[in-house]
Amino acid sequence: MAATAIELVIESTNYTRPRDRARELWAFREVVLAFAERNIRVKYKQAVLGILWAVLQPLIFLGIFMVVFGRMGNISGGGTSYPAFALAALVPWFFVQTAVTFGAQALLMDGALLRKVYFPRETPVLGAVLSAGLDFAVGFVLLLVLEPVLGGHLSWNLLMVVPLWLILAVLTTGVSLILGALNVYYRDFRFVLPVVLQLWMFGSPVAYPLSTVHAEWRGAYILLNPAAGVLDGFRRALAEGRLPDLGLLALSTAVSCLVAWFGYWMFKRMEPGFADVV
Amino acid sequence: MSWAIRFEDVSKKYPGAGWGYPSLRGDLSRLGRSVAARLTRRKRDPEDPFALRDVSFDVKEGEAFAIVGPNGAGKTTALKLLTRISFPTRGRIRVRGRIGALIEVGSGIHPELTGRENIWLYGRIMGMSRQEINRRFDEIVEFAELGDVLDRTVKRYSSGMQLRLGFSIASHLDPDIFVVDEALAVGDAGFQAKCVERMMRLVAEGRTLLFVSHNLTAVEAICRRGIFLLNGQIEHDGAIREVLQSYVDWIDARQQERWNSTGAPRGRGLAVERVSFHDAAGAECAAFRTGDTIEIRIAVRPSRPIVQPAFAFGITDGRPGSLIICSMAVDGHVPPVIDRPTVVSCRIHNLPLLPRVYQTWCSVVGDHAYGDLVDWQIVGTFRVMEGPGGADTPAPLSALRTSGVIHVAHAWDVATTGDPDVVTAVEGYSP
Repeated sequence: MAATAIELVIESTNYTRPRDRARELWAFREVVLAFAERNIRVKYKQAVLGILWAVLQPLIFLGIFMVVFGRMGNISGGGTSYPAFALAALVPWFFVQTAVTFGAQALLMDGALLRKVYFPRETPVLGAVLSAGLDFAVGFVLLLVLEPVLGGHLSWNLLMVVPLWLILAVLTTGVSLILGALNVYYRDFRFVLPVVLQLWMFGSPVAYPLSTVHAEWRGAYILLNPAAGVLDGFRRALAEGRLPDLGLLALSTAVSCLVAWFGYWMFKRMEPGFADVV
Repeated sequence: MSWAIRFEDVSKKYPGAGWGYPSLRGDLSRLGRSVAARLTRRKRDPEDPFALRDVSFDVKEGEAFAIVGPNGAGKTTALKLLTRISFPTRGRIRVRGRIGALIEVGSGIHPELTGRENIWLYGRIMGMSRQEINRRFDEIVEFAELGDVLDRTVKRYSSGMQLRLGFSIASHLDPDIFVVDEALAVGDAGFQAKCVERMMRLVAEGRTLLFVSHNLTAVEAICRRGIFLLNGQIEHDGAIREVLQSYVDWIDARQQERWNSTGAPRGRGLAVERVSFHDAAGAECAAFRTGDTIEIRIAVRPSRPIVQPAFAFGITDGRPGSLIICSMAVDGHVPPVIDRPTVVSCRIHNLPLLPRVYQTWCSVVGDHAYGDLVDWQIVGTFRVMEGPGGADTPAPLSALRTSGVIHVAHAWDVATTGDPDVVTAVEGYSP
């Protein structure tokens, strides 16, 4: 009976060993999926075009890029056409944007639930990042269809999409945890978020090639912006049919993991107060 | 029996209480102020108040335990700490077993989704597995009485329907420890009765129940032990009857205090100075037994001569409507005039009420079209205890387990109508 049941001790700090945290998160995996499923259902329920928006967003930006950068800025796609070149980075970029936007807002959106029900507070954030994954999957299908038409080269290297997406998911989870936790305490971050994302996009090789950055500065650049190495990897795999630059990718992966670890650590430190301020 | 929940010197302070939403600007200005205060050695901002202060109590395994107290006493805070929604500032809480909480049910229900989708998603967020939901889906729908609107979006539901959906999902969790916070305050009477029934069944199954409510009748019916919280501290810890007694005493004292300071309840031309309850000997008393004589006294002071004021008393047990009405207007016994301080008393012989807490209502109506002299309102509470009283006083347990409140003289008869061969033997029983 209860005498043999696991005893739960609730104290002022919620310090638990990392292993127990991992076990708890695993026990709540169903909750992460439920949050993800709910986000997707709610998001597309009222939109007339539904899931098509996942395709339209990058296409609209592709149009803008073609006019602004392709024509006026005279940026070329190297070996491939500019549209094929730009689209291959735009689709993963929109994953970053959607995941971080929803991930950072997740705790506020579910404030009512936070104040009434216990679950590890990172679950709605993870759910938000996961639900952005569906948008990416739809975008990926778009890429498979359009790249050959636009003049890109597809090869078996497109299988690299899976590890590339995983790295991007780790990175966006970390960023979402940091911004999401700050968002609870300081509502000001609501206004900062769109600006940060806009700057991040223009600071990443989405509209322009990574080669714009001088080779000896590339390492430092990726330390600052780990997304850059991954986005370049996507472009090589999906538009140029080449393998990603594994050196840069390894650096991106390391920095992404560091960001995710720091985000999780910070989130867990701030977690006990969430329900009191939300 | 071992404990299921143990609070050990638990204190809780809400950060920045009274500061509103935190913002970067607010934090910076507070930091500036505290530095300035330290430099100039002036007094700093007052400390945040405690929502809960050094609270310790045990809930035994399989016990139905209540937390009562006025608004803001810390009841909900205690539950939030227990359910790990919020964390204590000091002290610790130990819990054995899986907790399921019904705190303001329906907060997770999403208006854009259908009832069916909500059961699936909300159920999982509340901690049910897919198999569990699958197994209990029909039960949940049936309990919520939503069969025909299940595939409609929840925003088209009435608020009562949304509430039923929320309660139904949450109450079909399968925890060892059930935490219920005032879930009964809403919902129609039929649904409330169903909820009480469900809680009683859980208790009967041996689950631990922690119940927070202002419905003292429900608390007394369901719980055996409890605490009375006041300003974040335990005022009384013990058997539910004592706890309720001390809470009701506190309410009465507060009421009396308020009347003394503000004068009286709103009366036009007639001020109520004091309402008290007395036993057959005339001594003031707040606890009675079934069959006792109770006298309700109301002391009034008119500011002008009042012609033919008709007094009326009503007794309720918290549910709408009065159980007993004693009205001068109905009885045709109205004093001709009141022009000086007066005590009006109403004596009820052989009180036909079963053990429970009761509220007394009062109104005074004048003969002219001035409207009510004193509006219909609660003027006091008293309590009927179980135990040796009149000859036919009911045994304590039977009174607690039923929902009836009126005691009538009655007799039972058990007569055999067949041969004894139908039932061969009752195990362990020999006549």
